[in-house]
Amino acid sequence: MKTLEEVFETWEAVIGLEIHAELTTLETKMFCGCKLEFGADPNTHTCPVCLGLPGALPVPNRAAIESIVLAGLATNCDIEKHSMFYRKNYMYPDMAKNFQTTQGPIAFCMRGHLDLDVDGRGANERYRLDALKPGDTDGNITRTEDGYVAHVGITRIHMEEDAGKMIHLGGGEGRIAGATQSLVDYNRAGTPLIELVTEPDLRTPEEARLFMQKLRQIYLAIGISDCSMEEGSLRCDGNVSLRRRGSTGLGTKTELKNMNSFKNLHDGLAYEICRQAEVLEEGGTIYQETRHWDPSAKRTIVMRVKETADDYRLFPEPDLAPYDLSDEFIEGVRAKLPELPDQKAARYSADFGLSAYDARHLVDHRATADFFDECMALAAAEADGSKFAKPLANLIINDVTAYLNAHEGDALSDTPLTAARALALVKLLTADTISSKQAKEVFAAIMDEDKDPDAIVEDRGMKQVSDTGAIEAVVDQVIAANPDEVARYRDGNDKLIGFFVGQCMKAMRGQGNPKIINELLAKKLG
Amino acid sequence: MARTFGEMSIREIQSGLAAKEFSAVDVARGTFERIATADETVHSFLETTQELALDAAARIDKAIAEDRLTEMGPLAGIPVGYKDNMNLTGTHTTCSSNMLRNYVSPYTATCVENTLRAGALPIGKLNMDEFAFGSSTETSAFGPTRNPWDVERVPGGSSGGSAAAVAAGLVPVTLGSDTGGSIRQPGSFCGLVAVKPTYGVVSRYGVVAFGSSLDQVGPFARTVEDAALTLNALSGRDELDCTSQPCDVDFTANLAEGAAGMKIGIVPAFMEAEGLTAEVKAKVAEAADQLRKLGAEIVEVELPHAQAAMSAYYVLGPCEAFSNLARFDSVRYGYCDPGHKDLGSQYEASRHEGFGPEARRRIMLGSYLLSAGVYDKYYYPAQQVRTLITQDYTRAFESVDCILTPVAPRTAFKFGEIGDPTEMYLSDMFTISINIAGNGGMSLPVGLGADTGLPVGVQLIAPAFKDKNMLRAAAALETVYGAAPVAPGFADGKAGA
Amino acid sequence: MTQHLSEADVRGIAEYTRIGLTAEEVVTMTADLNAIIDSLAPITEFDLDGVEPTFHPIGDLSNVMREDKIRGSFTQEVALENAPKQEDGSFLIPSILGEGGDR
Repeated sequence: MKTLEEVFETWEAVIGLEIHAELTTLETKMFCGCKLEFGADPNTHTCPVCLGLPGALPVPNRAAIESIVLAGLATNCDIEKHSMFYRKNYMYPDMAKNFQTTQGPIAFCMRGHLDLDVDGRGANERYRLDALKPGDTDGNITRTEDGYVAHVGITRIHMEEDAGKMIHLGGGEGRIAGATQSLVDYNRAGTPLIELVTEPDLRTPEEARLFMQKLRQIYLAIGISDCSMEEGSLRCDGNVSLRRRGSTGLGTKTELKNMNSFKNLHDGLAYEICRQAEVLEEGGTIYQETRHWDPSAKRTIVMRVKETADDYRLFPEPDLAPYDLSDEFIEGVRAKLPELPDQKAARYSADFGLSAYDARHLVDHRATADFFDECMALAAAEADGSKFAKPLANLIINDVTAYLNAHEGDALSDTPLTAARALALVKLLTADTISSKQAKEVFAAIMDEDKDPDAIVEDRGMKQVSDTGAIEAVVDQVIAANPDEVARYRDGNDKLIGFFVGQCMKAMRGQGNPKIINELLAKKLG
Repeated sequence: MARTFGEMSIREIQSGLAAKEFSAVDVARGTFERIATADETVHSFLETTQELALDAAARIDKAIAEDRLTEMGPLAGIPVGYKDNMNLTGTHTTCSSNMLRNYVSPYTATCVENTLRAGALPIGKLNMDEFAFGSSTETSAFGPTRNPWDVERVPGGSSGGSAAAVAAGLVPVTLGSDTGGSIRQPGSFCGLVAVKPTYGVVSRYGVVAFGSSLDQVGPFARTVEDAALTLNALSGRDELDCTSQPCDVDFTANLAEGAAGMKIGIVPAFMEAEGLTAEVKAKVAEAADQLRKLGAEIVEVELPHAQAAMSAYYVLGPCEAFSNLARFDSVRYGYCDPGHKDLGSQYEASRHEGFGPEARRRIMLGSYLLSAGVYDKYYYPAQQVRTLITQDYTRAFESVDCILTPVAPRTAFKFGEIGDPTEMYLSDMFTISINIAGNGGMSLPVGLGADTGLPVGVQLIAPAFKDKNMLRAAAALETVYGAAPVAPGFADGKAGA
Repeated sequence: MTQHLSEADVRGIAEYTRIGLTAEEVVTMTADLNAIIDSLAPITEFDLDGVEPTFHPIGDLSNVMREDKIRGSFTQEVALENAPKQEDGSFLIPSILGEGGDR
């Protein structure tokens, strides 16, 4: 099979996503007062409504409607005041009523969008990005210095309910294939679920991954879901088709399931694009089918062929009154909208002069953004406090992120690093009391020994020597001791500067101020 | 033979209780004894609930001993029967279907709960057409109910058991449900006061759904006052039913006001309808005359779209039923055909065995009518027709307080007399448009037909949430025709055939 | 009578609604459904241009919701009380391979 890059020489991928999020932060289910709880004993959170008993009737949860409106406002959607619930009829054992209560042609949230910043290696997936100069636009993308911004349309976000869970017995690894029996647990049945459908505006697996990541950040920021891809509270299906470069028609699409991590979403789509290209190039046909991404085998397999369009006999739910949302309701929800990641990043750039790259990476995770905010609040008490923003951002983006990646599962708030310690550390650095190399050592010591930076520096005698006289003496010694290198340097071998700095540092046991050493060496050798 | 408790009115029983002529436990015991002898012929009850009734009766008797009877609610000490599509914890709720033959309710419907809270003695569950699909109670999987007026004839349906139990004097009050006429038509066939209130007056929570936008619960009784007292207990906003509405009305308040000054509409086109028998037509005309004599003004009104109600109903009802009955799938409850290795064949066998022919027909019809391409041809126009029918009523009620029409085109028919489903559907030709529009309608007995000698009812139709208008006119007519009699073969404790 | 549905159509609907009909029942059902659909003709003959549908009778109800408060649930025993088959606190069903739906 060809690589993605090779495939993109000939083909353009058209990708749309359907993203389901359970509103796990609510107390109760969508249409009944059963408690929302993951992992309880089977069928202990059920009632006539969510078991679909004869005679039971649904009553919508107000907080769920507020949550979806909040999600719509956070993703630039129009909020539709008039909408209805519908019944989507099909028989499946995990769906107690054998219809799903969902929305019809008009959802609570319509016509939204998100702008994705695609940079670094991921930007290279885009076909011939190099042909564009910063500021150029091409379709829905705009070239930036370090990548591009993709404008991705959101068709709608609608409100619906989740199904129960099944355990398949007798087959391999709990799979449905080969199972002789299944167990059904309706605890999850009726969990409030919002489904976001994107326009087919995505062109690379990386864009799809970033969309999902950005949406997750937003949902976490507005607090409507725990967004656990592992536990299935955030789920993503992808629709993929290919067309020849330059063509505007749409090819036959396949629907991809089971992409339960950002990596699986990316790799599943990448595989499927390459698979479709191979089929098409061999003269084959793409069938409209649902495929399952198998991350261990690194391939997609057919789950179900859709010979005809599914006919769900959709009709307005007679048991539920229609919606006529008032301006007061919508504005009441808007008032609950917190600062969103994009707004936060813009504020970091405007208030603290951070680069767009730094600002964006700080807001990648709510925890790191909150931590940065906490540090800057402390810094505000210092003279010219915003000068600490850049070193704090560096500390968080590099050292803290690396530490958290290496200690998977640790929450930042559970580590010995407090905002006060982080600020103390960057103050030592900014005051040239310690070198950046020493700062790394201090950071490691904070995490290992749970001590304050000042105490660590004191204990280890790590203070940086910035006394120009003392450094000059060392510089003179090093120059005198290495006449050959001095001659070669003066002949034009600039790289030797590193050697001299290293010799000075060695003589000062690592405590010399590298900036002053560099300046003095340059003066004396020059 | 002596008059039984089931032949008494609510007031008669309650004054007997207050005067300590008998106890509530006597009422309960007497009622079950009566059912044991007389219901063998009628077959109205599918299950009786002695334990629940005796418990409730003991509470009433305790209250009487403490002189607190009046605090026990409008139905204190009154035996009440429930159509078997109403859930009552611990009882079977079968909907007269093999599908639910063994189903035991783990919860109680709000309407049932409301009667219990009002002091009623729950007597048992009543036969019906399977899942309320029918107009004769012949489609019950447990055999038909007989009309106490003539046991060779049907009691009407679908709430046939609820009607027959009151007509036979087994209980003074029962509850039924009405989707297209299922309270009013058996009310007419059995000669009872039978009320389908405005959609939303009574909660539907816990009543097994047929057509969710059409179903409404209401009482059968032998006096207008008993029906009104029962409505007082039943009505009110229920937080478990989104379509129920606040209804702070005393339905008995204006029963004594008489018809003088009321404007009553009659619909000329209805009186000329094909299939309307001469004896029913004569009775409706007579009732109009009586109202005029009582001081009401009779005004002709038009319901120009009523002719489309029948087809709109046979679109909307099956569509909603198809979806409502999808839950009967052999997984959580209901009939499960044994021995299947895959769910698909278990589904198909269970739903084939569990549902009778009429249920299967309506499910399949609804599924077809909602399918892609067909939806726009029938379902959507039917909902547009609903708008027109509703507008018809709104316009008519600008000039009248209520409307007088036939209930059913004829009196009770014999078992097996009507075999063709589309012919059976005509039973509801005068009642259906009211379910489509959602306002209130009731059947009031006006004596026996000149030709068949069987009970004839007239229908009184009220504007939405003005159900008291039709109750007032009905109470006025009742002064002329008298309270509904117990069927002669069952009067004074006789046990029929 | 117009042939709205063929026997093959009726078999398709039976399959969709999961009602196993015998060959004989398919014949009767086809006749019954065609007769009923015929009787629905009036609905197709009205001039309904510009008429809004009424999906919910008693029109002015809207925005009916409940507060996000726990109301209590069944115990596992009650939830499973009517289950035809159960195992380990769950409803037990035979193999579901081949079932349709949006999965």
